[in-house]
Amino acid sequence: MVSYTTDTFSWLEGFRSNTIRQMMFVSGETGEPSAETTTLIESIVQQQVQEMLRECTNLATRRGSRSISTDDLMMLIRHDRAKISRLRHFLQWKDVRRSVKDNSDDKGGDAGADIGAGDADIAGVAGGSGPAVETGKKAKRAKVDLVWEPQSFYNEFVPARDDDNDEEEDEQNFATLQRLKNADERTKNMTREEYVHWSDCRQASFTFRKGKRFKEWAGFGIITESKPNDDIIDILGFLTFEIVQTLTEEALKVKDAEDLYKKETGGEPQNRMKRKRESGLFDPPEEAREPVQPSHVQEAYRRLQRGNNKGRAMLNFTRNIHRSALKLV
Amino acid sequence: MPNAASHRASSNGAHRFDRLSGPLSNATRLRTPNMSDDGAMSFASANVSGEGGDTIGDEDPRAAIFRERFILTEARLMAALGGKTQHDGRDGNNAGKDPPPNTAREDQPRPAITPKKPARAIDEDDYGDDDDGDDEDDSHQSPLLSKGASNAAALSNLDPPTLKVPSLPTKLGIERTSTPSSDQAKSSDDVRKKLQQDKKAAEDAARRSFHTLFYTLENDRDAMLEQQKLDELDRQVETEMSGQPTAGVTNGAAGAPAQQGSLSTANLGASSLTLKHLIARIDAKRDAVHATDAQLRNLISEVRKNRSKWASEDRIGQEELYESMEKVLMELKATEHAHPFLQRVNKREAPDYYIVIKHPMDIGTMMKKLKGLQYKSKKEFVDDLMLIWSNCLKYNADPAHFLRKKALYMKKETEKLVPLIPEIVVRDRAEVEAEERRMRNGDVDVDGAEDSDDEEPIMASRGRKAPSKGSKGGSTARKAPPAGLEDTPGPDSKPPIPSINNLKNEFLRADSEMEGSVNGFSTPPPPGTLTPFGPNGIFRGGAAGSQADASEADGTGNSVSGLTLDAEDADLDDLEYKTWKQVTKKDRATIAADRNRMFRGDHLNVEEPAILRTKAGMRRWLRHRKEALEEDKKDDSTTPDGKDGVQPTGETLAEGIEGEDERQVPDYYDPVSAIPDMSERLKWVEDSEGNVVNQAEEFMRIVPKGYFTAPEGALASKIEANMRQMQDTRKICAKIGIVKQMQLQSQMYQNQFQKYDPLPFIEADVEPLVVSDEGAIMSPYVCRAALQRSVGKIFYHAGFEEFQPSALEAVTDVAGNFFANLVRTLGAYQEQPKMKVEEPSAASTGVLSAWKPRFSQEEAVLHSLQENGVDLESLEGYVKEDVDRLSTKLAGMHDRMKSHLADLLRPALDGSAGADGAGAFNDGSEQFVGGDFAEDIDEDFFGFKELGLDKEFGLASLSVPLHLLQNRMYSQHQLQNASTVSTTGVLMEEPAKFEPVTIRNITNEIGLVQEWFLAKLHDNNDQQLPEDEELPVKQRFPKPRLPPTGKISSPRKRPLKEQQQMARKKRKLEEGKDDSTINANAAGSASGSGSAAVNGNGLSKGIAKPIGKLRLEMPSQKDNQNSAEPEKDDGSAVGMISPESIGAA
Repeated sequence: MVSYTTDTFSWLEGFRSNTIRQMMFVSGETGEPSAETTTLIESIVQQQVQEMLRECTNLATRRGSRSISTDDLMMLIRHDRAKISRLRHFLQWKDVRRSVKDNSDDKGGDAGADIGAGDADIAGVAGGSGPAVETGKKAKRAKVDLVWEPQSFYNEFVPARDDDNDEEEDEQNFATLQRLKNADERTKNMTREEYVHWSDCRQASFTFRKGKRFKEWAGFGIITESKPNDDIIDILGFLTFEIVQTLTEEALKVKDAEDLYKKETGGEPQNRMKRKRESGLFDPPEEAREPVQPSHVQEAYRRLQRGNNKGRAMLNFTRNIHRSALKLV
Repeated sequence: MPNAASHRASSNGAHRFDRLSGPLSNATRLRTPNMSDDGAMSFASANVSGEGGDTIGDEDPRAAIFRERFILTEARLMAALGGKTQHDGRDGNNAGKDPPPNTAREDQPRPAITPKKPARAIDEDDYGDDDDGDDEDDSHQSPLLSKGASNAAALSNLDPPTLKVPSLPTKLGIERTSTPSSDQAKSSDDVRKKLQQDKKAAEDAARRSFHTLFYTLENDRDAMLEQQKLDELDRQVETEMSGQPTAGVTNGAAGAPAQQGSLSTANLGASSLTLKHLIARIDAKRDAVHATDAQLRNLISEVRKNRSKWASEDRIGQEELYESMEKVLMELKATEHAHPFLQRVNKREAPDYYIVIKHPMDIGTMMKKLKGLQYKSKKEFVDDLMLIWSNCLKYNADPAHFLRKKALYMKKETEKLVPLIPEIVVRDRAEVEAEERRMRNGDVDVDGAEDSDDEEPIMASRGRKAPSKGSKGGSTARKAPPAGLEDTPGPDSKPPIPSINNLKNEFLRADSEMEGSVNGFSTPPPPGTLTPFGPNGIFRGGAAGSQADASEADGTGNSVSGLTLDAEDADLDDLEYKTWKQVTKKDRATIAADRNRMFRGDHLNVEEPAILRTKAGMRRWLRHRKEALEEDKKDDSTTPDGKDGVQPTGETLAEGIEGEDERQVPDYYDPVSAIPDMSERLKWVEDSEGNVVNQAEEFMRIVPKGYFTAPEGALASKIEANMRQMQDTRKICAKIGIVKQMQLQSQMYQNQFQKYDPLPFIEADVEPLVVSDEGAIMSPYVCRAALQRSVGKIFYHAGFEEFQPSALEAVTDVAGNFFANLVRTLGAYQEQPKMKVEEPSAASTGVLSAWKPRFSQEEAVLHSLQENGVDLESLEGYVKEDVDRLSTKLAGMHDRMKSHLADLLRPALDGSAGADGAGAFNDGSEQFVGGDFAEDIDEDFFGFKELGLDKEFGLASLSVPLHLLQNRMYSQHQLQNASTVSTTGVLMEEPAKFEPVTIRNITNEIGLVQEWFLAKLHDNNDQQLPEDEELPVKQRFPKPRLPPTGKISSPRKRPLKEQQQMARKKRKLEEGKDDSTINANAAGSASGSGSAAVNGNGLSKGIAKPIGKLRLEMPSQKDNQNSAEPEKDDGSAVGMISPESIGAA
C-alpha cells in the first residue's frame, strides 16, 4: 500500500506493472524486470483472468444462474489441490477478518484482539479465544466447504467438530510452507528498510482498493455480469497473484537452466572473461544479476501450457483435431 | 530341315523319286499318323520300331481310348463285312505281312510293325515337291535373312525354317501351292497343337492359380460389356448374313448355305476318329467290301452326323480352313483389346477416317466375309486381319495413342494364332477332280505297277491331301480307279453329301495332333514346326506381297522405334493376370451379366428371379475344393498329371446328370454355391451301433461364476466399504431429518416419513448359462449392463445417491469408448514389429528366438496409459485421495452425524430416562457405555421391546412410538425455544392465571354462564375445563377478531365444526389399529403420567398436552352422537379415554 501511494506517477499505466514487479520480487526475482517483461506478464494474467471469467460464466449458465459464484471459480482450479487449499486458507482468513470486524463493529470494542485471536486460531502463533472467534470460525467453515466434497453427499449439514485433523491440508500446504520458508530465508538477513519494502511488496495486489479498474481490466460487464461478489474479486486477486508467482518461479527456473547451460558450454565471450577473473574484487553482487527476460517468461508460459494427454484421450483413433483450451496457470 | 525330312519319310513308298536318302527320313519319321493308324501300312525301318516303343510309353491316354474304340469298331465292322477277313492275305505283300490288326492292337502295335515298306500309304503323295520346296527355301533363306537383317533386332530370333515357309507360295506354281500347304498343314498342325497345349497349360495354370490368388471383380463389368458387344456383333453378322444369304458368296458354292443350316454342330472327335479307322480298314480291304464308293460315301456321311458347318462337298479344304479361321477370329475377338476393332469405324467418330484409310477392315466385316465364304485361302484371311491392325496403326500415328497399344497387342496375338490356320486354298471340287483326272491320265504309265489301285478312289477324293497327290507328274495315285468312283465327281457336285475328303481331313488332323502330342513328349521338337516364333515369320513373308505398305510401315516402325514398341507392350498387364483375363473372360462376363440382371437402374429388380444355388454348382465347388486340397497335399510329391489323381473323386452317379458346364472361374466367383465348413461338433455322427452321438455334451460348458461381476480386489473392497459407510451415514441423516422435522412441526402424519432403508449392494451374476463355444462370452447387452453397474457404483461412490438413467447411459458410453481406445492403444503397442536382439534368449515358451517384442508388457501398458491421458500418479492419487482419504473422512462424518443425532435426541431421552438420566439405564442397556444408543433409539425408544409390548400388540412399525416421540420432541423444542425467548428478557409480568372452572368453583361464575359451564363440565366428565391456550395449536379456537366493519359475527360456530370434522377424520385414520392404539395410549399415557409425576419440574405442560389432546376428542365424540352419525368407535373411543382419565385422576 505504501508502494501504491508512492508510485503515483505511474498511476494510470504503471500501477499494474509495478504491482507485477512487486509480486515478482516476492516470488524470488531479485532484479528489476523490464517493462517488456511486466507487460508480457500482465497480458498473460489478463488472458488468464478473462478465460476464468468466461469459464465461470459457462458454469453458472449451466447451473441456471446468471451470476457467477465463488464455487464456479474454485471449480476451475479444483484439480490443483495445493492451490485450492491455499485459496481456502485465504478465504478462511478473510472470513475471520470479516466476522471479527462485524463483531468489533457490534461491540465497538477490541477488534485488534479478536484479529489476534483469529490469527492464533489459524496460524497458531498465539493463544486466546473468544465467542466471537467461535462464530467466525463457524462462518468460515460454512463458507469454504466445497460442493464436491464429501459433506455434500448428505442432505443434512454435518456439524463441525473441533478435533478435525486436517492432515490433508497439511500435506497440501506443503508448497505453501515451502514458499513461506523461502521467504523466511530471504528475509532473514534483511535490514529493517529492506524488510519494510519486502512487506510492502507482499501486500501487492491487483484488486485491493483497485476494484473498479481491475473489473474493467478483467472484462467484467463484457464477459460476465458487471457487479460481481466481493469474494469473487478477492479470489481473483488471490489467483492473479498466484499466476504471477507461478510464472515468475517458472521463468526463473528457465533462466537458471539457461545460465547453467551457458556456463557449461562456455557461452559467450564475456562469460569466459568473467570466468577468468572469477573471484574478482569488483564482481557485481549476486543479487544484481540480470532480471528475467520476456523470452524466459514466454518459455515458462509455454511449459505451463503444455498439457497432458487427458484432454485428447477420447479423440484417439478419431480424426478429430484436439483444440486444447487455454490452460489455467 | 527335320521338318521336311519328317514329311519326306511318309513318301518312302519309293514310288517317288527321293532326292535325299530315305533312311534319314525314316529315322525321324516317327510321329507320323501311322502310329495310331494302321501301323502295318505305313513302314518301314528298324528305327521306327525302336522309337515307336518309346512313344508308347508316353502314349496319350486319349490314344488308348481311341484305340479301344477302334478295336470295338473294327470288330463291328468285321461282323458287318461278313467275316471276309480271310481276304486279307489276298492284298498286297504288305497286307500279307501285316500282323492281324487285332493282335497288333491288343499287344503292342508299334513294335509289331514290320519294317517292310508299305505298299501304299495314305499320305504317301508327292512329297518330293516338298523337298524341292525345301531346298529352294534353303537357298532362299539367306537372302531373306539378309533382308531381314536390315530390320530391327526383333526379327533376329526368327527361325530360318519359319522364314522359308512363306516364301514358298511365291515361287511355286498353283499346283504346288497345295503341296506346301500339306507340308504347312503338318507343321501348322504341330504348331497349333503346341499352341493349344500351351494354352491349355496356361489355362490349367491359371485355374490352379485361382486357388492361390484372389482376383478382384473390377474387370467383370468390362468383360461383360465386351461380351455383350461381341454377342451383338455376332447377331448382327447373323442377321446380315441371313438377310442376304448369298450376297457375299462369290465362289458360287450353292450348297454351302444349306449345309450351314443342316450341319451345324462342330462336335467332332472320338466319333470321327473311329470312323477314320473304319475308313482305313475299308481302304485296306477295299475289294472285300461289296459296295460302290458312292454307297460307302453316303453311308459314312450318314453315320457321321456331326459335321462342321463349314463342311462342303464341293469346296475342298473349306471345312478345315474355315474351321481354323473361325477359331482364330473368335480367339481374337475374345481378347480384351479387341474391343475397338469389332465394328466398322464410325464416320461420325472419325470423320477423316475413310480419307486416310482406303481399305477399312474390322472383325465384324471379317466375320461376315467368313460366313459368306469369301475367303479362299489363308493368305486372304491373314491379310484382312493384318489390314485391321495396320489401318489402326496408320490412322493413329501418334505413338502414344492408346489404340496403338491395342493394335500392337492384337497384332501380336494374331501372329501367335495365325500358324493355327492351315495353308489351304479352297478349291472347287469339280476343278480338283478334273485336275486329278488330267493328271492321272498323264501318269498312268509311270506308276503303272501299283497294286493298291483299288483303294485309290476313296483316297483320291480326300480333301486336303487330294490335290497334292495330283500335283506332280509322278503321282502314284489311282491308276485304275473303279468305275463307281469315276462317277463321283458328277453326283458329288449336286447333293450336299459330306465328302470323305473332309472325313479324311479330320483324320489327318487327328493324326497330326497325335503326332504333335507325342512329339512334344518324346523328342525335341524340330525347330521349324514347334517354335512359337514361327508365326512371326510367316506373317511377314505372307503379307509381304499384298500388304507391302503395311508390312513396310511395320518394318520401319520396328526399326525406327523398336524401343518404343517394346515400351508400348511392356505396360500391359502381367502375364498371369492376362491369362486370367483371357481364360475367364467369358465366364466372368456371364456371371457379371447374371448379377447385372438383378438390378434395374439403381434398384433391385424384383421381378428378376433370384440367383439360386444349384446342385451342380455345389458339386463343382466341392470338387474344386478337393482338388485344391489334394494339390496342396501333393505339392511336394510330383504330380505328373493332376487329372489322374483328381478325376476319380467324381463321387456320385448324379454327377453329370445335370448339364454341368465347366467354368473357368474360381469358386469365389460363385459364392452362391459355396458350402460352409461345418464344425466338427455339428456333424451328424453315428457310433458303431448306429446311434447318433450326441456331440454337444463334449463341448458344452457352464459359464464360470463371476464372469460378469467385479473381481475381488483391495480397491473394490475399499470402495464398497465406503459405499456401505455412506449408506449408514445416510440412514442417520434420515433420522436427523425426521427429528428436525418433528421439532418444527407440531403435528405429524404417520406416513409422513419414509423410513430410509437402503438395500445392500449386491452384484448379481448372470444366471447359470451353458455355452458351447470356447472363449469369452460376447454378449454386448450383458457387458454393457455390467459396465453400467460399475459406472453406477462409481457414481454412488462419488456421492450421488441416485442418478438419472440418461446420465448413466451417457457416462457408460463414454467409459466404454475410453476403454475401447485404451485397449486399441494397447494392441497397437503390442503389435509393434519385433526387434532383433543380439543374443537369442529363451522366450516364455521356451523357444529360442532372436526376436523380442518391441515393448515389454509393462512398457506397453504404461505407454497406452500415457497415450490416453492417464498416468500412474493420477491413478495412485485417485486411490489415495478419492478412496482412502474419503473413507476416513466418511468415517469421521459418520461419527459426527451420530453424535449430532444423539444431541438432538437427548431431551427426549431425558424424558424417559428421568431427570438425572438414570432412567436410561433402566432397561439394562449399555447405550451410554457404548455410545451407540442412537442405533436403537428409533425402534425402541420407549423400551417397548424390552417390555414385550411390541410382540403383544404387533408393533412392527415406528408409527406409534414416533407419535409419542414427536410430541416429546416438539414440546422439547418449543420449550427450548420458549426458554431462550424468556431468557432474552421479560418485559412484563405474566398475569395470574385464570382459575380453571371446576364443579366446585362454578358457583363463583355469573349465573348466565353457569348452566353452560355445567353442561361443558358434564361433557367433560366433571373434570375441570381446559383453557383455550392449553389446547394443542390445531385444536385451539381461533382468537376472535374484530373485523374492520365493527360487526361481531359468530366466529366460533364454524371452527368448532371444523374441529369436529378433523377429529372424526383422525379417528377414522386410527380406526385400523384401534385395539393397539387403546392399549398403546394407555401404556403411553401411563408412562407419560408417570414421568410427569416424577418430573414435576415445569414439564407439566408437556404432560398436559397429550391429556388435553385426548380430552379434546370428547366433544367430537359427543358431537358425533348429537349429529346422530353412526359411530362405530363409540365405545372404543370412550374406552380409549377412560384409562387415560383414570391415570390422570
